[in-house]
Amino acid sequence: MSSQSEIVLTKVPVPLVAGFQWSVGELMEKFIKALADRKIWGVKCPECGYVYVPPRWRCGKCYAKLGEENLTELSGKGILLSYATAYVELDGAGSFKDLSEPKPIGAIKLEGADSTLFMPLGEVKPEELKEGMKVEVVWREEPKGELADIKYFKPAKR
Amino acid sequence: MRNVAIIGCGQTKHSARRRDVNLAEMVGDAVWNALEDAQVTPQEVDAFTVGNMQGFGGVAQPEQWLGDWIGAAGKPVLRVATGGSTGGCVAQAAFYAVASGLYDIAVATAWEKHSDSKEPGATTGLSHVALGNTINMINCGLSFKHLLSMTLVGAAAGVACYQAMYYMYRSGSRVEHLDMVAAKDRRNAAKNKYAHLQWPGCTPEDIAKTEWVAYPFRYGHICPASDGASAMVLACEDIARKRCKKPVWIKGLAAYSDEENQIMSEGAGGIGILDASQQIGATMSAIKAYRMAGIRDPQKEIDVAEIYQPFPNQELIFAERLGLFDEGTAWRALEKGETDINGRMPCDPSGGVNATNAIGSSALQRILECALQIMGKAEEHQVPKEVHNAVATGWGGATNYIAVTVLGDSPY
Repeated sequence: MSSQSEIVLTKVPVPLVAGFQWSVGELMEKFIKALADRKIWGVKCPECGYVYVPPRWRCGKCYAKLGEENLTELSGKGILLSYATAYVELDGAGSFKDLSEPKPIGAIKLEGADSTLFMPLGEVKPEELKEGMKVEVVWREEPKGELADIKYFKPAKR
Repeated sequence: MRNVAIIGCGQTKHSARRRDVNLAEMVGDAVWNALEDAQVTPQEVDAFTVGNMQGFGGVAQPEQWLGDWIGAAGKPVLRVATGGSTGGCVAQAAFYAVASGLYDIAVATAWEKHSDSKEPGATTGLSHVALGNTINMINCGLSFKHLLSMTLVGAAAGVACYQAMYYMYRSGSRVEHLDMVAAKDRRNAAKNKYAHLQWPGCTPEDIAKTEWVAYPFRYGHICPASDGASAMVLACEDIARKRCKKPVWIKGLAAYSDEENQIMSEGAGGIGILDASQQIGATMSAIKAYRMAGIRDPQKEIDVAEIYQPFPNQELIFAERLGLFDEGTAWRALEKGETDINGRMPCDPSGGVNATNAIGSSALQRILECALQIMGKAEEHQVPKEVHNAVATGWGGATNYIAVTVLGDSPY
């Protein structure tokens, strides 16, 4: 019988790095680039009228083909459908750490859109959040044409 | 078991990078093309089978993304992943769905979006696959470098080197014959508007001028890494006869694994033999599929073959395993032009995987191309003779898994 100390353990490093560069497709590229001009593009299905943001080229409801000609600009204002608030975040070492202040996140339906966006909420205390409240987009100071140009949504001025 | 036919085919243009579409849009293109070809609406489809090479493109559960892009929202979707042979197995899974009587119309679609990986070619995808597949060897304490060189012998490309060497030694063929296969496939691909590497008038001398990659292969011998997708609509007999002028019947099929498994080979404490030129799984699959199809003499009864051949030696090896030529003689038939598009036994008139390799899709494309030949819809690369029966292969798994599908213009 072998004793505990005779068990052989070999540490084997696996030198693998897998990097990716996903193509997002033409309509999504347009959507991302338009953020530089503080514009939010959606797409309206010519068959069933459903409005998607961000845009897509095939209607997921009725399968009609959508294209650039169906792009429609949205105002950046919308309604808060639901929300959640985070009090902890991942610490990068397999555990959690407390946030210095709570981070609210919201499900937002933009004016004229049928689909829902999930975005961070700012300039608002968690206890002030309410389903149905009006919200509006807050842009990064110098938008560059990337998704991070949308900083967060805040309660809209009355 | 019910008879099953292919009633529509669709594919996308293949190229090195399809930046104009994301993965879902690209697969959607192939599916909508197939539905249009079959004159079937998405509402009429009962079930979907889908697949790509597992881990490639960095999308772990692509079927979750695809649903409403391919018309599968609210429908049964089954994902199949068997490495390089995925497309063949995706098509076979759709066959089972319809043959069993469970569904009347099924769509099979397969794809690869190589360019979503950051490194060129298949490096990232293979790393991804290797990480999962090599755990059993890490268990033996082998380092990754040793795994690659000794046991995986350099993955599919390394295996193919040995495979070509074993075959050439055994059959008496030479590197010149690899040049001939590659040149033929690139010439054929030039006639196929969907193909990736198109080289009109390519000669074996042109191929022989390209640089060595790893002996016995030159750059000109090796398949590209393609972005692309393909799809087929399968239907039961009643619907196929009503809806399609020339349905293509899936007459026989089989997918066998054999012991030529590089990952559990003799080099890693397993029993897999390392002569990957044997491909016993192909022989077993062919025997089973031909018996089911009622084919007794493939040399006489098969009119065209679409063989999975990312490396040119594989066209010769698999043609023999499929019984299209006697053992060790495929290269002689190649010399005589018998495998040309207008030859006695055309092999890969589409250019095959050697010219277009969107891995997951590649084995489904072989079946699709056979269907086009039988329907008479292969356009410029249509073989100039009547096609009653055709055979398609896929090669994958851990270089040991083969899917063979026999198709015909009649179900009997």
